[in-house]
Amino acid sequence: MTSQASAHTPVNLVTGFLGSGKTTLLQRLLRSPQMSRTAVLINELGEVGLDHLLVQQVDEPVVLLESGCICCTIRSDLSSALRDLLGRRERGEIPAFNRVVIETTGLADPGPILYTLLSERVIQHHFRLGNVIATVDAVNAALHLADNPEGIKQVAAADRLLITKTDLAEPAQVAAVRQVLAQINPSAEVWDALQDPWDADALLEVRPAARSVMPELTRFTAATEDGASAAAQPYVKALRRHSEQVASFSLVLEQPLDWTAFGIWLSMLLNRYGNDVLRVKGILQVQGSDAPVFINAVQHIVHPPQHLERWPSQDQRSRIVFITRGMDHARLRRSLEAFCGARVAELSVA
Amino acid sequence: MCGMCGVFLGESNWSDTTVTSVTGGGRTRRHERLHRVALTNRILKHCALKVSDWNGVSYVLSSATGQTAIVDSIAAVWPVAEQLRKRPIDPLDERLIAALERG
Repeated sequence: MTSQASAHTPVNLVTGFLGSGKTTLLQRLLRSPQMSRTAVLINELGEVGLDHLLVQQVDEPVVLLESGCICCTIRSDLSSALRDLLGRRERGEIPAFNRVVIETTGLADPGPILYTLLSERVIQHHFRLGNVIATVDAVNAALHLADNPEGIKQVAAADRLLITKTDLAEPAQVAAVRQVLAQINPSAEVWDALQDPWDADALLEVRPAARSVMPELTRFTAATEDGASAAAQPYVKALRRHSEQVASFSLVLEQPLDWTAFGIWLSMLLNRYGNDVLRVKGILQVQGSDAPVFINAVQHIVHPPQHLERWPSQDQRSRIVFITRGMDHARLRRSLEAFCGARVAELSVA
Repeated sequence: MCGMCGVFLGESNWSDTTVTSVTGGGRTRRHERLHRVALTNRILKHCALKVSDWNGVSYVLSSATGQTAIVDSIAAVWPVAEQLRKRPIDPLDERLIAALERG
């Protein structure tokens, strides 16, 4: 499976609210030598001409999606675009790209796009999902998170969060955005696009899952208790006012769990609450397996579970991070306990 | 080749994957499937529904009144079960949780 997985072309999603700097990010990424063989899928909405031209300037193969929004209505367009790219690559009509980047519209719910990538058979066999990257404008973060459920979904679905336009915002404002993003999605790494030393490799690297689960749990406490400076608190309050229903929490299981019982519980939970369970990410100690199992779900969409080679630390308890909207997590914890017959503790609440 | 990963590839839906290996003390695919059916029925009995394996490839969901439906995976059981029952099936339902806690 390892060689097969590595033969799959990675597909990255660049998402973020309107005007949050997706195209600027894309331009910067495409200038990197390691991105020289990247195919880019963009869509047509509002300033599409501008977007299209900007991406064309880097001289990459571009497929302009016909519909205005890569939402559920255009899922078949995305599927067709990827199949078309594949066919043209096979026939030698376009350079042999080794990565695809999809830039979503600012209003896109990333769920259907991920669903398309993970569920279509042809796509499954030729592509694999890479990191989801979301840009958040430091100045207008409150607007992004308010009146826009997709903004929250984009943040929740991300593996990397990039705070943009930090030179136009007060330092306290940037600190507040960083804190609130870490609270909403503790499973993502949050970087300042201008100050932090990130590059294409760091942004696109799919870290071994074990490493990506550990820091987020420690970040929970840091994000919620230490937080940003006092000067940032008014900004934090303003940002959280728009996202107060969204909460992150982490559950820890002391004993190995029955994977089948867990799968039944999670599938049942996502069937009923898939719109409100924005993200589930965890590392599980499973009965009958020495290797930990990594799980990752965005709303209704569950990535195939993965075995990890080893535990990231001496601590071999199952740990699961949830990002939910308006859900009673004490009851969710009790439900998991009842379904799996295992004791479940809540680690921290954001 | 990793035997465990081979099992991952053999199933189409994540809810039907097996993450244990027989050599590691896990169940065979067939046993795992029967175990999955038994655990699902532990939940469905509170909804007056039942699921059974169909030739190792699908599941048959049936109600006490004789309605039946074929589903491909355990994840697909729940929306169909809700249709047959004409009510939601909620894992956070207090009565269901209490019933499972009683065993």
